[in-house]
Amino acid sequence: MVVSGNWLNEYVDVPKDLTALSERLTLSGTEVERIQVQEVDFDGVVVAEIKSLRPLTGSTKNQIATVTTGDGIADVVTGAWNIVPGNRVPYAIPGSRLGDRRIETKIFLGVASAGMLCSAVELGLGDDAAGILVLDEGAEPGTNVRDLYPPDTIFHLEVKSNRPDLLAHLGIAREIATLFRIPLRRPAMRDSARGTTGRLATIEAPEGCRRFVGKLITGVRVGPSPVWMQARLRAVGIRPISNVVDITNYVMLESGQPMHAFDHSRLAQGRVIVRRARQGEQLECLDGQTRVLSSEAMVVADSERAQAVAGIIGGTASSVTTRTTDVLLEAATWEPRRIRATARALGLRTEASLRFEKGLSPALSLPAVDRAASLLKELAGGNASTGADVYPDPLRPARIVLTLERLNRVLGVEVPTPQAEDILKRLGFVVDRSNSQLTVTPPEFRLDCALPEDVIEEVGRIYGYGHIPSTLPGSRRPLRDIYRAQDADERVREILVGLGFDEAVTYPLTDRRHALDVRLPAAASTPALIQNPVAEDRDALRVSLVPGLLQALALNARLDQPGLGLFEIGTGFWPQAASTAPIREVRLLGIVRHVPPALAGNAPAELRAVEAAVRLVAERVGGRTVDVRQSEGLGFHPGRTAAMLAQGTEVGMAGEVHPAVLTGLDLAGRAIAAEIILTGVVGDESYTPKQSPVPRYPGVRRDLTVVIRGKIPSNDLVQVIRQLGGYTLRDISMLSEYQGPQLGAGARSLSFRLQYQADDRTLTNEEVSTVQQRIIDGLKQRFDAEVRS
Amino acid sequence: MSVNVGNLDAIAVDARQRISAAADEATLNQLRIDLLGKKGVLTGALRGLGSLPADQRSAAGARANALKTEIDQRLNARRQELEQNRLQGLADSEWVDVTFIPEAAVSRGHLHPLTQALTEITAIFSRLGYEVALGPEVEDDYHNFQALNIPEGHPARDEWDSFYLAQGGWLLRTHTSPVQIRFMEAHQPPIRIIAPGPVYRHEATDAGHESQFHQVEGLLVEEDIRMSDLVGTIEYFSRSMFGAERRIRISGDHFPFTEPSIGAAVSCGICQGTGCGSCKGGWLEIMGAGMVHPQVLRNGRIDPERYSGFAFGMGLDRIAMLKYNIADIRRLRESDVRFLRQF
Repeated sequence: MVVSGNWLNEYVDVPKDLTALSERLTLSGTEVERIQVQEVDFDGVVVAEIKSLRPLTGSTKNQIATVTTGDGIADVVTGAWNIVPGNRVPYAIPGSRLGDRRIETKIFLGVASAGMLCSAVELGLGDDAAGILVLDEGAEPGTNVRDLYPPDTIFHLEVKSNRPDLLAHLGIAREIATLFRIPLRRPAMRDSARGTTGRLATIEAPEGCRRFVGKLITGVRVGPSPVWMQARLRAVGIRPISNVVDITNYVMLESGQPMHAFDHSRLAQGRVIVRRARQGEQLECLDGQTRVLSSEAMVVADSERAQAVAGIIGGTASSVTTRTTDVLLEAATWEPRRIRATARALGLRTEASLRFEKGLSPALSLPAVDRAASLLKELAGGNASTGADVYPDPLRPARIVLTLERLNRVLGVEVPTPQAEDILKRLGFVVDRSNSQLTVTPPEFRLDCALPEDVIEEVGRIYGYGHIPSTLPGSRRPLRDIYRAQDADERVREILVGLGFDEAVTYPLTDRRHALDVRLPAAASTPALIQNPVAEDRDALRVSLVPGLLQALALNARLDQPGLGLFEIGTGFWPQAASTAPIREVRLLGIVRHVPPALAGNAPAELRAVEAAVRLVAERVGGRTVDVRQSEGLGFHPGRTAAMLAQGTEVGMAGEVHPAVLTGLDLAGRAIAAEIILTGVVGDESYTPKQSPVPRYPGVRRDLTVVIRGKIPSNDLVQVIRQLGGYTLRDISMLSEYQGPQLGAGARSLSFRLQYQADDRTLTNEEVSTVQQRIIDGLKQRFDAEVRS
Repeated sequence: MSVNVGNLDAIAVDARQRISAAADEATLNQLRIDLLGKKGVLTGALRGLGSLPADQRSAAGARANALKTEIDQRLNARRQELEQNRLQGLADSEWVDVTFIPEAAVSRGHLHPLTQALTEITAIFSRLGYEVALGPEVEDDYHNFQALNIPEGHPARDEWDSFYLAQGGWLLRTHTSPVQIRFMEAHQPPIRIIAPGPVYRHEATDAGHESQFHQVEGLLVEEDIRMSDLVGTIEYFSRSMFGAERRIRISGDHFPFTEPSIGAAVSCGICQGTGCGSCKGGWLEIMGAGMVHPQVLRNGRIDPERYSGFAFGMGLDRIAMLKYNIADIRRLRESDVRFLRQF
């Protein structure tokens, strides 16, 4: 909302201290975003009256105007044709200044032009360059135009959506008057004689119109509005059009009630009907565009066709022109949802629709019409004729009962009772106090106040929330619902960061074409799609964290940051059928590692490091062992992928990313990716380690090197070793893998470390050697392995 | 070899000379073996004593034993001397350039700034007895809007433009406030929760706005909760998060699900509240808050006659941006490690 300081001064003495004003308004809930001082940038421009016009010989574009400023006359050449003798216009005399421009006498085709006549653009008063700015007849020739456009202070305010009453100068003035405890001057208004309802206007669709007030004004002389009105409208960014249109805009910006003026002679049968639009009904609007309406839209129509899109924009056919003499003024209260829906459907938001959408009080319309009628009489010579006020279900004022004790308790501060009462009264509330109880009736323009809490807010925001002390609530609370998953997340993060991975946060909205590049077998086979995406590459919810993380690797590789390790904890969205929720939201852990081309041989080692990282997380945070199995998965390398299992259930995968996926991402080298269902490895409850006795007797450690051929997973070897090792074999760990020319093609040498231990004695070498030999024989037999001890 | 005292003298001279010439521990060890070992020179001489006439035997024996003791002492002395020298020369002999620290010496990744900010926020509120509650990111219209006093067609819906799933009626939550409703539906007061998580707004992105970001919601419902409790909580949080010297400013605001509604700002850390290019007149807006609307309590199956409460919501991104001086919100989700590794 843009507000003019000069205009506000009409209703309240605006405090001079703008910093204090700005702060008080902001704290009360109307944020002052910007204050700017607006001042005209010209000197020596005076009001002149056009005495006569004559052609400039040799020119078809220009003519000569003879003007007077009261004393003497001058000839001025002008290129404008919108002026007629008698017009009052701004005249830049020789020696005057327009911005950086000096105006002097100039010769045009042999004629001396003494200065120039100015358009609104030339004076910096608007964007209308089409012709000379025509001032109203009240502008006295010789008057300095500067005085007609006094310096103004423009406030840019952010009005909250529940306060459409503040989208008006009077509303803002009321706030200022209340905040600074100064008098408010309401504009003088004559009582309106109500005309016969039903003749001038009828409501056929009451679901869209709460109240319709119309008034016929006859004998109107359409012309420019007075300079003071134009100045105020311009100050807040509204282009003056004609006295009739300007008055409707002026009343809206004064009171908050949008209005419309119809040329009464253009309305078939001279009356209007408020109805729903016919499906597909067309209307040429004031902005020149023809719009097609749906049957949800409300229109103001005559007996033949729609003449205005209700509450949004008027139609061209019945608009006020210079030939108009009889004006039908409209001030209606439209149903906000319907206005909002229609404005959205038409893609058109106007000053009017913006206000109606927020829900205006029907109480505003009648005074607005009266105010406009009174201004029309004053400024355009119109006479009020018949009127209509169709208001089937009048507003019933709310009565809110509130104890002072409640007021003070909710705010947590003692507001002096007289002050609380004063605040409410200044805001327009009717307050009736008996002892410690307030019975409050909100002003009829405030539909947002219905509950005691609403009244408490009014007192609080004006009294000043800054007066509320800081306390902390204290009470005895039962212990329950200690949420641990968040703690587990933190521990997972700490472990991965400790291993050198950096944490990333990527977008949940992703590109449907890449959403399934890499994913778990358990995941949904289609992503959930967004009906109204903001961007084409953000049209689906991610199924897996991995595609986003791989994109991050690719981005960083392009930024000359190859070889990264990243992880993320976030939600995967898996559409599911036949359930209460359409989506299963799965908490996932994704880990990726880039292996640059020069180090491509390290890919297996990096994969094993990622597998080890997952196992470490599961062990440390969840107290769970993760088993791995050779596997395959979508987007993973067919020979380098592991399924990860916890407690017998598959909880994720780790593997090298399929080269084709990397090609798609334009990422050179190799990449490792793992995705884990976090709850599957860390559980719901936090894991607490439990101590078991440390060995009392020394154990025996033996290393074992096995040479095997073919795709035998070490897991199989470990299984056999464990079976044959008996109860004294406590632990088997994998030490190293070797492949090389000495072993021959397809052969691998795997080293294991075996830990033997007994609880009741020191194991003898002989005892261990017997077991060890049994294992060696077993491995030789089962895997055709060559074993060195 | 014939043994006599002269012979021993020669051994002594030779041993003394060789011991004092020994330059390191290994040479000394070898000398000990050569001189005193089983096959050593002196051992051999002692063994030869038996062949001497009896009158010479005892004198030569004494002489040989004395020599053995002397050599042993000299070996030890030389050893100590060498050790002394070595320790004195350490600065040169074992000098290391301690200012050369290779990148790979230790490696640790970086926690995302949003994680770090959230960890801190969670810690602050857990000191005040709040628990963490979570809710779904895919929401229904009821929990995201209607239960929060935002019916269909309400003008406030413009502030929460939504992403809708192609699948009927579901939307991505536009704020964490639906967690308030979900938690109240399942729990009676007293309630103290914070609810962090991703939220989605159907709007264009720029340096200050994201269509996908994170919020932290707070809800407290107990008996006799006042606005002063809300103000105190905001102050405790703000000063814990941004510094004890900070001040807060409470202004009027509007949210359909709180009444009264307020906005909270913290004094700018750069200008200390006097106004600068980084703030709005000395203040930085950090959250919206208010007393829970009675209808919202009822929607959560809580009796507003008995209980009252407050709620607050803040942008985690904004808090992190203020805390770590991040100018552009889009940096947070780009995953550029040159950014991530600054935290």
